[in-house]
Amino acid sequence: MMRIFRLTLLTLLCVTGCSGSNAPQGVNRNSDKSAASREGKTLRIAVIPKGTTHEYWKSVHAGASQAAKDLENVEIIWKGPMKEDDREGQISVVTDFVTEKVDGICLAPLDAASLMNSVELSLDNQIPVVIFDSGLEDHAKIVSYVATDNVAGGAAAARRLAEVLGGKGNVILLRYNAGSDSTEQRERGFLETLETEFPEINILSSDQYSGVTPEESLQKATDILNKYRNEVNGLFAVCEPNATGALGALEETELAGKVKFIAFDSNEMLIHGLQVGHVHGIVLQNPVNMGYEAVRAMVRHLRGEKVEKRVNTGEVVATKENMDDPDIQKLLVPEQYDD
Amino acid sequence: MSTQPQPSKAADTSKAKGTSAGRRHMMLLGSALGPFLALGVVIFFFAAADALQGSDTFLSTPNLRALSKQIAPIAVAALGMTIIIIAGGIDLSAGTAIALCATVLAWSLKEDVAMLILRGENVAGATQKWKEGSENLRKVKRKITQWQAAASLAKEKPAAAKKGPARNQPQTLEKQRALQQQLETELPRLEQEVKRLTADSHRFSRFTPWIAIGLTVLAGCLCGFLNGTLISYLRVVPFIVTLGTMTFFLGLAKILAHESTVRPDRSEQIPQWLVNFLSIRETALIYGFPAGVWLAILLSLLLAAILRYSIFSRYIFALGSNESTARLCGINVIWNKIAVYTLAGLFVGVAGIYQFSLLSAGNPTSGIGLELKIIAAVVIGGGSLNGGRGSVLGTITGAAIMAVIASGCTLLGLSNPIQEIIIGVIIVVAVTVDQVRRTRLAE
Repeated sequence: MMRIFRLTLLTLLCVTGCSGSNAPQGVNRNSDKSAASREGKTLRIAVIPKGTTHEYWKSVHAGASQAAKDLENVEIIWKGPMKEDDREGQISVVTDFVTEKVDGICLAPLDAASLMNSVELSLDNQIPVVIFDSGLEDHAKIVSYVATDNVAGGAAAARRLAEVLGGKGNVILLRYNAGSDSTEQRERGFLETLETEFPEINILSSDQYSGVTPEESLQKATDILNKYRNEVNGLFAVCEPNATGALGALEETELAGKVKFIAFDSNEMLIHGLQVGHVHGIVLQNPVNMGYEAVRAMVRHLRGEKVEKRVNTGEVVATKENMDDPDIQKLLVPEQYDD
Repeated sequence: MSTQPQPSKAADTSKAKGTSAGRRHMMLLGSALGPFLALGVVIFFFAAADALQGSDTFLSTPNLRALSKQIAPIAVAALGMTIIIIAGGIDLSAGTAIALCATVLAWSLKEDVAMLILRGENVAGATQKWKEGSENLRKVKRKITQWQAAASLAKEKPAAAKKGPARNQPQTLEKQRALQQQLETELPRLEQEVKRLTADSHRFSRFTPWIAIGLTVLAGCLCGFLNGTLISYLRVVPFIVTLGTMTFFLGLAKILAHESTVRPDRSEQIPQWLVNFLSIRETALIYGFPAGVWLAILLSLLLAAILRYSIFSRYIFALGSNESTARLCGINVIWNKIAVYTLAGLFVGVAGIYQFSLLSAGNPTSGIGLELKIIAAVVIGGGSLNGGRGSVLGTITGAAIMAVIASGCTLLGLSNPIQEIIIGVIIVVAVTVDQVRRTRLAE
């Protein structure tokens, strides 16, 4: 008995321990070396995404690298936590960079509250911080907040869903992960807009969180769709892994096309869904631009130039009708970092 | 696959000597039925709660199918884990190894692995090379015109040219010309290559899915073989070795996937049967259930037969009950351990196919945390982390209990935290009840 108990405890300790300490990975350094040797000091800027395997972050990476190239004498160090819910991992990445004394940190916080301490630690060590993608609780001391207006993005999703539903019906909101500021804002924008602008739309379920991998989301969405399969008319999934799983679930429950589905962020599977009419709208951000603007804001700050406190990188809704526009195409299939 | 094989109790016989044959039978029956009973209670609870809410979704056919689909991948992986746990080991790398296998499958399909093996190059790669070649040729041609313009400028104003790009113009121009010539001879060859490969791919690409599946299962076996070898030869406890290989496999998968998700083209590169493998769409069903569920049942039966009738299984139970005694009895501990982990790896490989077919994609991070679900299935099903005990039926039941709770909580509209608490409580209760009953019977 005792032995089992100890073993189980040890298992848990080791598993949580290793996901915390071994987490940092995916380091990448790019710099313009020739430029660096031409004139003195290179600015070393750490860029910390929420995760490293989703396509979205590869696009942010592409933008950040481009900014490093364009602005000259800038080196970016790209390093993120192992998984998108690995708060401890991200905290230790920030701490490492503070110890390493980089010139500046661009951070996409996994959690609006729990990354506050890390940001303060960085500021105490005179390392300025730019927050991108997702907000923090308190933006008073940071250089700039570079992100999509997520509330507006959620509202855009609500309006598009109402449009395809003809202003009435029963909808489900599939949430992402508790504590993630950007997705919570989308969820809020979506719910508020439905409430104030579309009184005839009824919200069936808005309290289920899908989990961070598409597979978890597939399972959750399948269960919810099975529960409401006779009532549901519309579904909104608030981010890419979440939407990928939800689309899979719609196809599995044979509700695809019948239930109007709005996604947030794109990938090949969702674009294909848009083409065949299983997805009725994808709210798109501009991740390449986000990465670019975040690094640019930091560099301008470090070089003593004035920086906007809030940089909005924009959002649009792609539909089957407008998806072939070159501008929309560029956002549907954004450039990705590739080494 | 009814009750558990008796060799497992070889080590317990001294304890069980006093008990009558009838009581012993009851005990065996009880240990097999315990988890089953728990599953019954859980199902009854959710069905009743569902009915009280005035709905009948929980026991509806679509929901039962959805449940079977959620149980199958965990169950298959847990079959392998059962063997390991019976042999007194543990495998923390199972989750990431599954994701690695799924990534291998996705990669093999995307890269058209039959062509890679038979021709050393796939159509996409050759096309890419050809396109790059054409692009380079265009660039070189543009450069040459630029140099020539600069050269003619230099003739008119020699002073200005000294600083300009035309300074070492003769050699550079020559180099570029040579490059142009080389590219021009190479391009038709590359184009020919694309055509040849396209023709070949009509003949060979249909083998890709089968080779890909083979590679996936092989990858699983290799993962298991590596674990087994390290554990046997380094004499490090399985817990630590697999803790290491857990992140090792994660890293490998990320390298293979270029730190992204590998998505083969759904309409061209993934055969329909693989898309349908674990699908609960009406058209995908075979006798009411997806093929993957049937395969899981088949594998369970096979493993149950192996555990019941083979000599190998006696060695496994002996190893798990007391390793030193097993060694003294002349059992080759090293090779049997390697065999145990490799066999478990086979199941991991198959679980990788399940994982891939869920969303037709290979995502390296999707396996993180999965190992705990798998271990929990075995433990809820009566497997003992001290080794020597575990059963196929118990494991399947354990996997089913967890899936039923997860899906039931969602259907009842309970939030995730409540669901997590319930699963946690059930794990502890199931193991405790099992322990208490065992000690009572032994007395």
